[in-house]
Amino acid sequence: MAMKRMVAIVEDEPAIRDNYAAAFTREGYVVRAYANRSQAMTAFASRLPDLAVIDISLEEEPEGGFELCRQLRALSPELPIIFLTARDSELDAVSGLRLGADDFLTKDLSLAHLIARVNALFRRVDALRRPAEASQIVRRGPLTLDAERMQVEWEGQVVLLSLTEFWIVYALARHPGHVKNRQQLMDAANVVLDDNTITSHVKRIRRKFQSIDPKFDAVQTVYGMGYRWVD
Amino acid sequence: MSIRIKLLLLGLFTLVLPWAGCRYAREMESALREGEQTSLLSVAQTIASSLQGRSDLLYRQPPHVEDPETPPATDDDQVAAARREPKPSPYDLRPILLSSQPFLDGYVEEWPQNKTAWRYFARDQHQFGILTGVFERMLYVMLDVRDEHLVFDTLGASPLDPSTFGDRIWIGFEGPDGRERQVFIAATGPGSVTARRIETGEYGQLTAVSEPRILGALQSTPRGYRLELRIPLSMLGERFGVLIDDRDQRGADPVSYGTLRSDDLHTVGRLIVASPELTTYLKQFRQPGLRLAVAAPEGRLLAQVDSLSEAHVFAPERGILAQFYRRFVDRPGTRRVIDSAADIYDRERRQIIGSLQVSQTEDRWLILRDRALTHMLNLTLLVSAIAVTATFIFAASLAVRLSRLRAASESALTREGLVTTFPETDASDELGDVARGFSTLLHRLNEYTGYLRTLAGKLAHEIRTPLTIVRSSLENMESEGVSSSAGVYLERARQGSERLNGILIAMGAASRVEEAISNAERTRFDLVPVVQSAADAYRIAFPERAFATDVPAEAVELEGAPDLVVQMLDKLVDNAVDFSPAGATIILRVRLEQHAAVVEVDNPGPPLSAGTSAHLFESLWQSRTDSDSRPHFGLGLYIVRLIAEFHRGEAAASSLPGDSGARFTIRLAR
Repeated sequence: MAMKRMVAIVEDEPAIRDNYAAAFTREGYVVRAYANRSQAMTAFASRLPDLAVIDISLEEEPEGGFELCRQLRALSPELPIIFLTARDSELDAVSGLRLGADDFLTKDLSLAHLIARVNALFRRVDALRRPAEASQIVRRGPLTLDAERMQVEWEGQVVLLSLTEFWIVYALARHPGHVKNRQQLMDAANVVLDDNTITSHVKRIRRKFQSIDPKFDAVQTVYGMGYRWVD
Repeated sequence: MSIRIKLLLLGLFTLVLPWAGCRYAREMESALREGEQTSLLSVAQTIASSLQGRSDLLYRQPPHVEDPETPPATDDDQVAAARREPKPSPYDLRPILLSSQPFLDGYVEEWPQNKTAWRYFARDQHQFGILTGVFERMLYVMLDVRDEHLVFDTLGASPLDPSTFGDRIWIGFEGPDGRERQVFIAATGPGSVTARRIETGEYGQLTAVSEPRILGALQSTPRGYRLELRIPLSMLGERFGVLIDDRDQRGADPVSYGTLRSDDLHTVGRLIVASPELTTYLKQFRQPGLRLAVAAPEGRLLAQVDSLSEAHVFAPERGILAQFYRRFVDRPGTRRVIDSAADIYDRERRQIIGSLQVSQTEDRWLILRDRALTHMLNLTLLVSAIAVTATFIFAASLAVRLSRLRAASESALTREGLVTTFPETDASDELGDVARGFSTLLHRLNEYTGYLRTLAGKLAHEIRTPLTIVRSSLENMESEGVSSSAGVYLERARQGSERLNGILIAMGAASRVEEAISNAERTRFDLVPVVQSAADAYRIAFPERAFATDVPAEAVELEGAPDLVVQMLDKLVDNAVDFSPAGATIILRVRLEQHAAVVEVDNPGPPLSAGTSAHLFESLWQSRTDSDSRPHFGLGLYIVRLIAEFHRGEAAASSLPGDSGARFTIRLAR
């Protein structure tokens, strides 16, 4: 690795900020930590990080993270952004993803999981710079899964999924017809979520596919068990 | 007693008004009566004084009020003395006032039964009674003669032939010109008779001329006979007498007796009778309901104008109400007529020449009173009725408002929380104050309940940040590498924080479900495969329990969210597993009702304790007494209820028959 990647952490809680910074530093990243939006933006104006982990509520601004995400996305459309929040309500998720965040995570996610995600996102960035490798591509009818680039296409059209969503789809589509229960999906997605959040993730996945193909019905619910991919 | 009844009773107090009205009417009546009495007296006195000195009006001929010093007559003969004697004589006849015209038939029945008015004259064994009466301008005479041998005149014979004479009655009187005249009645049989007078012709011959103005009738009686006569008063002057010629046989010498001198048939007694003009005079004061009577000093009625029974100008109140009121007001035994009398004096006011009695029916003022009373009572009754009705309506509205308040306060605590929109809060009265008080109270209570409801979620949220600090610190510490002895503690701390995290997830569960429900989409789905699929999952998840399904053969289509239904089943099965012994069979049943699909989960185990089933589905209700490692916040069945309500259904719990376990019944609308 020629140059250490830089991760920006925008988090108003100093203890969490420092813990996260320590963990990322240990992983070999250069960490820049900011407590609020203005600090972060001032720094970003001079130099963009390679990835940003942003808390939604920042000091006086309850949704300052969203604003920051919008500003950051305006500076760089490619920059991976991860939202972190203590609130796990669905609205936050939707809002964050609409702003172009690559993932949305609650703070009870373990550091190991968080770092796995950050690594994954960097892998994805790298993969996108290289030509696609055929070995990493899974095809299921109209579905094309690129595990390396973490990209999904349906009938040739790119489906914009968050990292968590991609991992869920990947887990399901790799073994069509097999029922994956919620725990398996959580493991696959490297998250700890409650049932309702899994359900809403699945719902969102369906909606994203259906926006391309209204007849999309490949993700089926097996009540009481979980979900399965049907070709 | 309800407020309605109480206020109605209060309203009934207005019935005091009619009662007071009755009392007032009575007082008014006695005042009226008194006033009427006074006015009647003054009327009587006025009329009496208008009659003062008018003995010419009272009596046909003024009784000669002569100087008592006038020397008495020298004639020994009583009759002759009486002739000049102006003082009452035993031969004076005082006719009574007849109220109706007697029929001339010789019978006494239609005469007034007035024994004292009869005058009796006798000679030896002979006796007759005479009753005289005046009706309008006629004098009626009833003679009751005791006669062993009634002798009639010979039929067809000359009445002047002495041999044919039977019993004869002579009537002697002074004519209006002052001349004495006589007529006689000679009957040839019972029946009508006409008087005759004896006239002396041009040459001295005597003829018996019929006097058709004097008519009568004769009837024999067991003791003699009766003669009824009618004589126009216009024929009569002051004096009048009757003489009976009693013969034992035709042509015999008669026994003559009576009030005429037997020798020349001259009158000795007077006929003291009121002038017919008196009646005319009195008639000018005639009024309906009024009776004017003039009586002689001895009490005999001279004239009267009686309009007592005449129809009054005021129509009496005939309404049932009026009669009802009268019954209320009238005291028994009250007289219906008031009288007032005044004496009539002579010109010098020395002697009473008569008396005037004025009578008036009560009807006059009774009607006045009744009218006033009826009006007043009608009014008060109307007022009472209005008052009672108004009170009742008011009471009813009050009761309605109160019951609305009560109903609102009873139903204020709903499943969704407290209703703070309270009725009657706009009212400006005390009820409005109560309602506003309630509303404020409920509002505060609602805030409090809402705070409690969200407390778990808020707490979970607030704890999450420090917990994240702890966990991330622990993870960092782990990564830094610690000694094996410290690693033990690190592992314990990590486990503790994991448990804490589990608690946080459980605490936030209800709010997450509420959120999921609010975002849930409704689709049509078949309940049966969902339940069967869920049961399959439970068999895997809970190998220590058996799961049986009891579902209908046909599809059970529902409008709703199958994810939520499964979540609901999860909670119910969780509950059933917790409360059933190992190896027990939990039954998942689906049955159809008319408008609902019913999901039942039966588990063997302890029955529900009495009183808990009402609270089981409330938030934060905890009936577990055992303690296990998992956190319980009493949210599981609350979530079941939320999901049932999302499906327009309801959740209920009961004990299985024989208290062998518990059954949770969820109705989902179809």
